Amino acid sequence: MIYSIKLALKSLWFEKWIHMLTVVTIGVGLFVLGLIFFSLYNIEGITNRLPERFSVTVFLSAGTGNREINQLRVRLREDPIVKRIKYISKEAALVELRTSLKDAAYILEGLDENPLLPSIEIRLKENGFDKKKVEGLINKLKSLRDVDDVVYGENLLGTIYTIRNAVKTISAGVILLFSMAIIFVCYSTVKILFYRRKEEIEIFKLLGATKGFIRLPFLIEGGTLGFLGGLLGGAGTYVLYRFINGTVISDFPILGVMHMPLGLVAALPAGGAILGIIGSTIALGRLKF
Amino acid sequence: MIGFKDVTRIYDNMTALRKVNFGIGKGEFVYITGPSGAGKSTLLKLIYLAEKPDEGTISIAGWETDTLRESAIPYLRRNIGVVFQDFKLLVNRTVYDNIALALRIRGFGETEIKGRVQDALKLVGLRHKNDNFPAALSGGEQQRITIARAIVGEPTVLLADEPTGNLDVDNAAGIMKIFKEINAKGTTILIATHNRELFRNTGLRVLWFDNGNLVADKEG
Repeated sequence: MIYSIKLALKSLWFEKWIHMLTVVTIGVGLFVLGLIFFSLYNIEGITNRLPERFSVTVFLSAGTGNREINQLRVRLREDPIVKRIKYISKEAALVELRTSLKDAAYILEGLDENPLLPSIEIRLKENGFDKKKVEGLINKLKSLRDVDDVVYGENLLGTIYTIRNAVKTISAGVILLFSMAIIFVCYSTVKILFYRRKEEIEIFKLLGATKGFIRLPFLIEGGTLGFLGGLLGGAGTYVLYRFINGTVISDFPILGVMHMPLGLVAALPAGGAILGIIGSTIALGRLKF
Repeated sequence: MIGFKDVTRIYDNMTALRKVNFGIGKGEFVYITGPSGAGKSTLLKLIYLAEKPDEGTISIAGWETDTLRESAIPYLRRNIGVVFQDFKLLVNRTVYDNIALALRIRGFGETEIKGRVQDALKLVGLRHKNDNFPAALSGGEQQRITIARAIVGEPTVLLADEPTGNLDVDNAAGIMKIFKEINAKGTTILIATHNRELFRNTGLRVLWFDNGNLVADKEG
């Protein structure tokens, strides 16, 4: 193992120009991947915050007793996607209406009795913000005897769902494409290196080297190239983030909500190493020796 | 130790070896001779499994080539030291690293490698050339380094293809002396050569080949 590492490091030095080109290419690829993950992380954060503005209002039938209301409140609190609920009695609803009408509140003066219905306002959990789950809850509520109507931001729910899915699908496609490109770069480099060392490998074989002994330095080399490319890509992503935070943010305040998970910077070299090893493994598997 | 049974090797309609049968015992010193194209190098290549026979079977140190799995070939080769005609030294490694490679492949630790390489270099008289690169050595010295690499793993069989082909008389005599010392330790040795002076009046066994046929098996 130590000898294989030595061989790999020696080759990295002797073939430094090929390796440098490979590292830069992988670095650019991983930089793009870093940007995608960075964007994905922030878009996810933004869409996660949208549920805070989304509420479901359950209007209860007139004459619903306290016992039924309490039963419904308990049931809602136990629901896995409900974050919190707020009961608004018909009296409280009237006060709220009167406040919101301000100067036009006189239109309520002729009323003999309160026409408003008691309601429960529901706020959803961020991780429970799934279109199907939300619609499931609403349908369940609508079917209850004591529920008169359920009102919710149908369009907002649809928009959030569409944005989130579109971003995830596009990102997955781009991530797959760039990962394959990085694997291909490592695959090609290892193949070139293998052919350049073919004579040496022949001697190794004649002296009794196993395939594992011959392959290991190439795997280490591929992994190292991916790792170095990841360091480059990670550094690029971090520098760009600092640039956005320092310079661009003053011109585009919306970017102020953006964050860079440090784990991402650390994950790029590790991801690069894995992709490098995959590329090398495929190359060595296809080579006849 | 080595057995050939009806071995035939054909290259593109040209028969390099035809129905060859012979056996070599442990510790024997055997010359293989014949004119160019007689099949001497092919025979050695078949022994260290650089090539496979088209017909017949070869047994080497208890291994049968026709039942040998591909993955077992490296382990068989570790029992065979080969002195190649063109040396096959790694030009970008020192003398020490070239010899040590044979042991690193076998998984030896660095301390043991150091001791064994020094012993092998002592045997071929080149201890002082440890840190030289092959390009800085003469043909005779390169040949000795190849021998050192072949014997460092203590193989049971040593093959040499025209080991004195490019050497002057003194160097050739030196190389042959080394082979005799190795043989004295019990290693089976096969030397392919077209130089009859090497085995004349030695009393050693000589396999004569001509046009792919084993034409004689007698003392030199």
